[in-house]
Amino acid sequence: MATMRDIQKRINATQKTSQITKAMHMVSAAKLRRAERSINAFRPLTDKFAAVLSRVLSGESDLSHPMFEAREIKKTVYVLVSSDRGLAGSFNSRVFKAFDAHVKEQHGSSDDFEIVALGFKAYHHAKRRGYTLLHDEVIQMRDEVQFVDFQNIADRFITRYLSGLCDKVVVFYNHFINTLNQEVKHRTLVPLEQDPFLDADIDKDEPYNRIYHYEPNARKVLYQLLPMYVVHVLYGMILESKACEHASRMTAMQNATDNAEELIEDLTLEYNRARQDAITLELTDIIGGSEAVK
Amino acid sequence: MQLIVITPSGELYNEMIDYIVVSSKRTGEFAILDDHAPLISAIDVGYIKLVRGDEHVYTVVINGALENRDSVVHVLAQEAHVGLNKDSAFEHLNAVRKERLEENRRRTKDFLKAERELEKNIKEAKASK
Repeated sequence: MATMRDIQKRINATQKTSQITKAMHMVSAAKLRRAERSINAFRPLTDKFAAVLSRVLSGESDLSHPMFEAREIKKTVYVLVSSDRGLAGSFNSRVFKAFDAHVKEQHGSSDDFEIVALGFKAYHHAKRRGYTLLHDEVIQMRDEVQFVDFQNIADRFITRYLSGLCDKVVVFYNHFINTLNQEVKHRTLVPLEQDPFLDADIDKDEPYNRIYHYEPNARKVLYQLLPMYVVHVLYGMILESKACEHASRMTAMQNATDNAEELIEDLTLEYNRARQDAITLELTDIIGGSEAVK
Repeated sequence: MQLIVITPSGELYNEMIDYIVVSSKRTGEFAILDDHAPLISAIDVGYIKLVRGDEHVYTVVINGALENRDSVVHVLAQEAHVGLNKDSAFEHLNAVRKERLEENRRRTKDFLKAERELEKNIKEAKASK
């Protein structure tokens, strides 16, 4: 049976752990709020970008771009969006599980696809599984993620797509529903669907405004804007994944704190019982001793 | 005319100005004055010179789109920085980007080192058993 000192030690250790998990919970809650703010701040940019693209495409009907042409799929690039650090519940394992199952179902050989791993966790998972990575260095997913962090790798897979070295780019990421619910989504980044742009007709009331001038010309503008748009969409997914990461970590830390408190309660009960036993034993000894003296 | 510069973190600039000069590596240089015809352009790496009276302000842009419509110019930029002259604005933006990449590299190194140490400690403490 554990002594009083052992139990006290465990209570102290658990209390310290619960202090850490409580602090991590509060940090994650603050980071989640910041991540939500980032998503809201980014939304006007994507909406406006899509609107500009829709104007280019609806104004010039004969425009085409390789990103709108669905080709026969020989090689796919998968982008896995994960986190740098763990202790976030099933945040990362959810993505990896869904991705592994997808790959098993869709591809016979690992030569059919390449991976872009965003975040330490995805990088290690890809290495462990022996997947072919498109990059040697780790691409970090910091809390305040910026375009410059992943611009190089995004340019690399866009160039590969445009030069025909890959035929599809799919992103696996956590989609943010609310703080308690997130789900893994996989979304095709390239090729793009042209219809959503054409349907987003913003200039309905002002038809004269549709006659746009392009500098230098519509084709060149489209060829510059589309890759930018793809990077924007990816950035949006990363921001969403970041919010999920903080929400997951927040929930995980809340659970850990609750469990620690429950454990402390049990241990305190056990400690009191041990204390009571010790007192009873001492009393019995004293009474026994005094009886012997009589 | 109105100029609105939007970046991923929100609106960077929203002011009334006289005219702008757009300069981009690929498309060269052109100016947009008040009541200019609707126009769309792309900026890979470049700057926008904002002119109001005698005042000149520069916004350097990396990967952006520009739309002019009804004398309102929207600049949608992945990265942008406002400065009083273009060289200092470019310098600042490049320094920030360089510092960020450098920091990323440093963090990767530290992280990998910490992970190796953790693995070693787990092995030594036989904590995995």
